[in-house]
Amino acid sequence: MTPAALRLRTALVTGVVGAGVLGLVACSSPGSSGSSGSAGTPAVSASAAAAKVPLVVYSAQGYDHAMTAAFTKATGIPVKLDDNSTGPLLTQIEASKNNPNWGLLWVDGATAFAGLDQQGLLQKGYEPKVSWNALGQQSLPTDKSYTPTGVTLVAAVVYNSAKVKTPPTSFQQLLSPQWKGQVGMDDPAQSGPTYPLIAGMMNSLGGISQGEKYFASLKANGLIIHPTNGPTLQALTSGQINVALVQSSAAAGAAISDKKLVVTYLKPATLLPSAIGIDAKAPAAERQEAEKFIAFVLSPAGQKVMQSGDPTGDSLYYPVLQGVSPLAALPPLPSVTTQTINPYTWGSREANINTWFDANIVR
Amino acid sequence: MTQGAPPGAAVPAAGPNLPAAAAGRPAARRLPAGLVPAALGRLGQPLFWLLLILFILVPAGSSLILVVSPRLFGQGQQWLTLTYLSHAFNGAAGVAIVNSLWVSAAAAALGVAIGFPIAWLAGRTTLPGRRLVSGSMWLVLLLPSWLPALGWERLVQPDGVMYRIGLDWPWVTHAIMGPAGVVLLLGLRSVPFTFLAITAALGGLGQEFEDAARAHGAGRAATLRLIVPMLAPAIWSALAIGFAESISDFGVAATLAYNSNFSLATYQLYAAINNFPPSFPAASALGAMLVAAVAIPLALQARALRGRSYQMLSGRTRQVIRRQLSRAGTAWSTGGIALFYVVALGVPGFGAVSGSLLGDFGGSFNLTLANYRAVFHQAGQIGPLERSLVYAAITASIAVAGGFIAAWLLAQRRARSSRLLDFLLLSAIALPSVVFAAGYIFAYNLPVWSSIGISLYQTALLLIIAYTAASLPTSARVLSGTVSQLPPSLRDAARTHGAGSLSAWARGVLPVVSRPLVMAWLLAFAGVFLELPISQLLYQPSSPPASVAIQDNLGNYHFGVGLAQSVLAVAVALAAVGLVLGGYRLAAPAGWRRIGSATRG
Repeated sequence: MTPAALRLRTALVTGVVGAGVLGLVACSSPGSSGSSGSAGTPAVSASAAAAKVPLVVYSAQGYDHAMTAAFTKATGIPVKLDDNSTGPLLTQIEASKNNPNWGLLWVDGATAFAGLDQQGLLQKGYEPKVSWNALGQQSLPTDKSYTPTGVTLVAAVVYNSAKVKTPPTSFQQLLSPQWKGQVGMDDPAQSGPTYPLIAGMMNSLGGISQGEKYFASLKANGLIIHPTNGPTLQALTSGQINVALVQSSAAAGAAISDKKLVVTYLKPATLLPSAIGIDAKAPAAERQEAEKFIAFVLSPAGQKVMQSGDPTGDSLYYPVLQGVSPLAALPPLPSVTTQTINPYTWGSREANINTWFDANIVR
Repeated sequence: MTQGAPPGAAVPAAGPNLPAAAAGRPAARRLPAGLVPAALGRLGQPLFWLLLILFILVPAGSSLILVVSPRLFGQGQQWLTLTYLSHAFNGAAGVAIVNSLWVSAAAAALGVAIGFPIAWLAGRTTLPGRRLVSGSMWLVLLLPSWLPALGWERLVQPDGVMYRIGLDWPWVTHAIMGPAGVVLLLGLRSVPFTFLAITAALGGLGQEFEDAARAHGAGRAATLRLIVPMLAPAIWSALAIGFAESISDFGVAATLAYNSNFSLATYQLYAAINNFPPSFPAASALGAMLVAAVAIPLALQARALRGRSYQMLSGRTRQVIRRQLSRAGTAWSTGGIALFYVVALGVPGFGAVSGSLLGDFGGSFNLTLANYRAVFHQAGQIGPLERSLVYAAITASIAVAGGFIAAWLLAQRRARSSRLLDFLLLSAIALPSVVFAAGYIFAYNLPVWSSIGISLYQTALLLIIAYTAASLPTSARVLSGTVSQLPPSLRDAARTHGAGSLSAWARGVLPVVSRPLVMAWLLAFAGVFLELPISQLLYQPSSPPASVAIQDNLGNYHFGVGLAQSVLAVAVALAAVGLVLGGYRLAAPAGWRRIGSATRG
């Protein structure tokens, strides 16, 4: 090799490493930081907020990409979206609670918000000026630490109509030999909506120990656990199980995709509000933007995005506002017997009940 | 530490010319500073140490301190407690740790049992298609461990593909969906590490040893009895890597093992973090136990090799004559190796590809390209793949450069500092990456950083730093063998001939290390490209890497799209590996590629 060629090669090697370093420097520029502004500054006026800091949205909703794009288009406020499952989002919030980086959190399940509220992580006292329907009113917490945006149900019972001619009519029936080895549900350690399902069952049966007994019997009858709605429904369509207990939006979506699947509701189904909470420690400007975001979500334009952004998934919710109807794929809510669980009572029990479920039912 | 990356507790040299690396520890010999450019020695070394402390010691240490002092990081009330550590020995956590220990030991043994014969057949015999073997090993390495697990599950689960094509074999379902299946999958994953370690050792084992044995009247079996113990360092190294890789694996633990109700420690750790509210101290306690567990094979390895010399490299290593296989031998060997690839690649490949070609929920057998169309046309599905490609390329480049420096520091016989470095790198390798990533949040999201204007959490910068910190220890291990074998004369010769410091390095040292550097780069690249736990906790909002996007699809209502994305991701990674290897072949002078190889053809 000639010295010139060698120099060229050396320069190339140096260049590649140099480019990497430059790339890193570029990545670390202040603009790429998740949030900016300093905590503790006094509330800013609307005109100051026009400076428009990026609003960091932690969301597990299927329509969140569509919603944040529409929000930015309508208001000019830039959004950084962290779209992930509920579990990792809550993990990020808990791990970073010394120095939080999020502006608002938008996930399903009031129990998670109650848990955050009890730790003092949520801003209290904000309620958008909207006309709630009955669902909305009953989902709004008294300290207004989070805002409901829609309601789904757990558990929806999905069955394969090609194989199941007489579907179950009560949760107790699932314990009979007829359903041995045929029932599947999600793991609360991995699926956000599953803890409310378990808590709802315990609530309707009269307490934790009665609920534990029920799930132990269900397990003895061959209950099959998959991590989340997706794999559980996949097990249903592939024939591993014949009945799946999942969230209503996932159930209705699967029934749209696969005509063999039919959704039914047993007494009672637990109401599962999806909600938005604002980070109590976020800079004032960002909190103000978060309030604007909530108002946008609950506006007619926002509701349109929610109902069209994920038509075979999270868009299948029951609205919390007067004058907004659910999508046609959902049964009228009055036809379903529902119950509400107290998110503060059941939220504080979540870690223990999940641990019990993991140790005794999952394995 | 990275999921899917080889946490080479004593990682083998990745090229065929690096036998001593397989012994895990660099040769005990002082190296001249001139093997790396001189400027690095003066200013660079303290800076390098500073970076290691900041980005490996601090986050890993934060996670471990958290176990005994949760309050220090705002994760509990206790300033000092042993509760979480004691919990790791009891109940579900204790069962999971015991399961992990025996499964990993069995998987490591299986990896050696399969990998050793394959390496010998490919390296020492006239096996047809032997050149394909090492290339295909890369494919086995590239697959994230959850992908084969999903493929197998899809095949054997009740009413899975196996049953649908008329094979009513419940015993297969029972065998795979249980501890045996877990051992099989983890064992298959250990095979490439054994293959690399043994191939490297065989590369340095010249013909003279076999000739000597045969000259003294040894038959084939007796010759083998002489040769195999000479490879002890490589075998021990492969066992240690297989064990470390298996015990820190999350992909199989969260899929096949989980669905078989067989709890492993890494899943238990994940469940502790994913609970609400999460228990980081409990997770870190399990992490500490796993770190401690990796010490077992390392101690056994050290004990087995103590006091013996395995120095067999010399400038006069004779080229090996490949053994002619008989017709029956050829048939058996090819059949066996083909079976390995069918089990390791064919079945999971079939599972993933067929899953990606079925409709969203895989309810029917109608093939469709809808999932691939969705990946290409839906917003936000291709971006993650491109992003991970860039992240992996940047990370691999920095990790290899840093790994080379670390390997050079390890080879310096400054007893205390190299031992400290060795310990630091090994601990980092053994720490599960989800705990390591949480350590990054604890350490780099403290309010003090914001108060001085540094916001690193959830930036691409911190993600790449974490990827790099996770890959560097492995790169250092991969390179330490080569670096410790470098004679100072290489660089001196170049200097004598008038080359400057940098040019002397490029002309004297680079040719010798170029191949291991490329291999280390590819290992780091493959480990980062589909890495999940670090990505999940540290990625920049709005910019998910490939693994996060794939998991999101798999876990929600888009199973088929997720599988299509995985298939594409593996194809992209494979193309990248092919490109790099092809580029090296074309660009590097022939002499660079030949150095150190004892085998022809």
